[in-house]
Amino acid sequence: MRKALSLFLMAVLLIGVLAACGPKRDVQQPKGNDQKTAEQAKKPEKLVVWVNDDEKQKQALKDIFQKYTEKTGIKIEMVAVSMLDQTKKLALDGPAGKGPDVFYQPHDRIGDIVLQGLADPVDLGDVKGEYSETAVNAVTYDGKTYGVPMVVETYGVFYNKNLVPEAPKTMDDLMNIAKEKTNAAKDQYGFLMEAANFYFVYPFFAGYGGYVFKNENGKYDTSDIGLANDGAVKGAELVQSWFKNGYIPKEITGDIMNGLFTKGNVAVVITGPWNIASYKEALGDKLATAPLPVLDNGEHPKSFVGVKTWMLSAYSQNKEWAVDFMKFVTNEENSLHYYEVAGEMPANEKALTNGKITNDPLIAGFAEQIQYGEPMPNVPEMSQVWEPMGNALQFIAKGDNPKAVLSEAVKTIQDKIAASGAGK
Amino acid sequence: MPEANVRHRPAVAMALSLLFAGLGQLYNRRYIKGLLFIVIEASFLITFYNFLNIGLWGLVTLGEIPMLDHSIFLLIQGLVSVIIIAFAAALHIANIIDARNDARRRQRGEPFPSLIESCRHAWDRGFPYIFVTPGLVMLLFIVVLPLLFMVSLAFTDYNLYHSPPRHLLNWVGFENFKNLVSIPIWKSTFFSVLAWTIVWTVVATTMQIALGLFLALLVNDPRIKFKRFIRTVLILPWAVPAFVTILVFAAMFNDKFGAINREVLSLFGLSIPWMTDPFWTKVALILIQTWLGFPFVFALFTGVLQSISRDWYEAADIDGATRWQKFRSITLPHVLYATAPLLIMQYAGNFNNFNIIYLFNDGGPAVRGQNAGGTDILISWVYDLTFTTNNYNMAAAISLIIGLIVSGFAIYQFRRTRSFKEEGNI
Repeated sequence: MRKALSLFLMAVLLIGVLAACGPKRDVQQPKGNDQKTAEQAKKPEKLVVWVNDDEKQKQALKDIFQKYTEKTGIKIEMVAVSMLDQTKKLALDGPAGKGPDVFYQPHDRIGDIVLQGLADPVDLGDVKGEYSETAVNAVTYDGKTYGVPMVVETYGVFYNKNLVPEAPKTMDDLMNIAKEKTNAAKDQYGFLMEAANFYFVYPFFAGYGGYVFKNENGKYDTSDIGLANDGAVKGAELVQSWFKNGYIPKEITGDIMNGLFTKGNVAVVITGPWNIASYKEALGDKLATAPLPVLDNGEHPKSFVGVKTWMLSAYSQNKEWAVDFMKFVTNEENSLHYYEVAGEMPANEKALTNGKITNDPLIAGFAEQIQYGEPMPNVPEMSQVWEPMGNALQFIAKGDNPKAVLSEAVKTIQDKIAASGAGK
Repeated sequence: MPEANVRHRPAVAMALSLLFAGLGQLYNRRYIKGLLFIVIEASFLITFYNFLNIGLWGLVTLGEIPMLDHSIFLLIQGLVSVIIIAFAAALHIANIIDARNDARRRQRGEPFPSLIESCRHAWDRGFPYIFVTPGLVMLLFIVVLPLLFMVSLAFTDYNLYHSPPRHLLNWVGFENFKNLVSIPIWKSTFFSVLAWTIVWTVVATTMQIALGLFLALLVNDPRIKFKRFIRTVLILPWAVPAFVTILVFAAMFNDKFGAINREVLSLFGLSIPWMTDPFWTKVALILIQTWLGFPFVFALFTGVLQSISRDWYEAADIDGATRWQKFRSITLPHVLYATAPLLIMQYAGNFNNFNIIYLFNDGGPAVRGQNAGGTDILISWVYDLTFTTNNYNMAAAISLIIGLIVSGFAIYQFRRTRSFKEEGNI
């Protein structure tokens, strides 16, 4: 009896605590931001900006931020956070009120960021035309522009003028170089690239009509994957022929390629401008760059273009001024300054076509390639593509049937997209 | 002095105390104690009411309005609330028991100690516990809370498409575990990864222990000269940071450009696909782990071997024991008893040896029709899931399984080793 009584009372108490009815608040969605112009909004004392943790980039930005403070009187608090860690940090700092007004991300993360509700769209307004079309497309997601593009980046051809006097214009040129100059036993190669890395191989798929996700009017249809269509298979066969002919060893990695090229053993490599510094140091004047060679159907290979972007935090209290700030940082003058100090190609069209860049022999090749490139898809489903495609390329390198391998990879991608919870 | 009072009922005291701490004590006419309890409980409720209220609500609902509620924060607050409530409940129960004991005393008419006396008594008797408490509280928040958080995630739908703050999490019960064994891309992969993980753990660890033991015995032989030098050399692999070693090995094992195929095996006309064939990658991994792991075991055994008394061997010699008999009956049991817990940790460590798998070949090479690489062990697969495909819920579910396996083995083994059996009987 006593036990029953105490048990009953215990239960009453527990229910009393558990039935606590949660927070009281008026159930109202937080309002979307009304787009005011900077002039109408109250001027904040300072803006917090997360920049990538890189010395040269920080150096360049410090000057630009200084100029903005002189112009408007708004202090800019620069916080260095590695680009790769920013979204994770923002997801925690933003709600806690410690986040930035502006952060910096590669455009292919936009899908994730929007899904997590970390960024607000930015109205580029009358300056939209100042940025290169590829860059604007890259930051467009669901029909809205998220962020202001700062830097564009793609890959192209580097060649050693000692071994080949001129850049290969077509794939045939390139194959001839490979045939003549390759002597695998002596570690000499005519042409090398990371041919089992989907990022670098994609242009050869796309040049024949392959695509990752069908893009219609700026929207990606993730149910339509074009990585096993005829074009993609044709591209894969081309890549496989390099392995079969022994032009490229299937064990190739980026490190090995860089090592051989800087030793002067390789005539042509395909890689990105981030290697310019180390290549130049090793090869000096013999180094030159060019866009990717034209395919046998007359098309330029469509390299992936990455765009690094200033994005507007959804938690920012000073959205109008933050946008004003982003536009200032990416204007022609500041983009050029950034290029000169940090060495990255601007997304600002006027800056990109400025003589300072087009006359720089090592950058010109990439600047030209960008117009043939296409932005990496920015939908979150893209993250499921890399691994299956990387694996498929390994199988292709080993000599498996491209059509079968690619169909399997596409199936895996679809399964992975489904298993990751998309559409639920 | 209070007299026996049969009408004083302990049940009433308990019930009152249950309702609110201190009421039972008041009923027992221990007014100061009662007031003290009431003040403590009241201040607890006033201070924590809001936090616990939102915490429990959040734990149940995981938030209701996207962007305003953050499921992850709510989940953590909820777990903290549960821990705080557990503490409070323990104190509350102590209060009820106290009320009952006092009531019984009053019933029997026994005298009460004064408040100061009972405080002193509690201090004397509870001294060790009082000093352990702060540590215990820290432990709960530092060790138990993250574990609870991970376990909770395994029962939610936390993935890229359900990421706060834009989207809220939901409780999904055992669905993640069901998916793991029913959806094709998880199922086939999960079992092959699990199988390799077990083979890897057993083979690599056993080999490193065997090699360590063998070398320790050799070096310990009195006839060996330059002991110090040999020991130093044998411990070198341990001295270089493992990740550096692994990266160097990854370069050395490269099929075409690595030193092993190029400089060593080519002498015999061999070229083994170390990095591109899953079988040979597994062999390479086991060899490297043996090389990386034996110095620790070697050092451990060398130490223990010094402590075996010479007399035993002399006695064995007199009895005419053979070398093997001496090893079987004296050395081995001695060494194993002394080191068993550490050796078990070696197994557990290798079960989760993420570094070597990730750094050597990133779990590669790829295998057709499988969601993980040919040499991925569970932990590296989990890493992949979390960071490349953002399946936090599945990662948590698999981690939970890993945790259960490892702790299961560890508990079983620890209970059988002497070092733990003898706890308290020193």
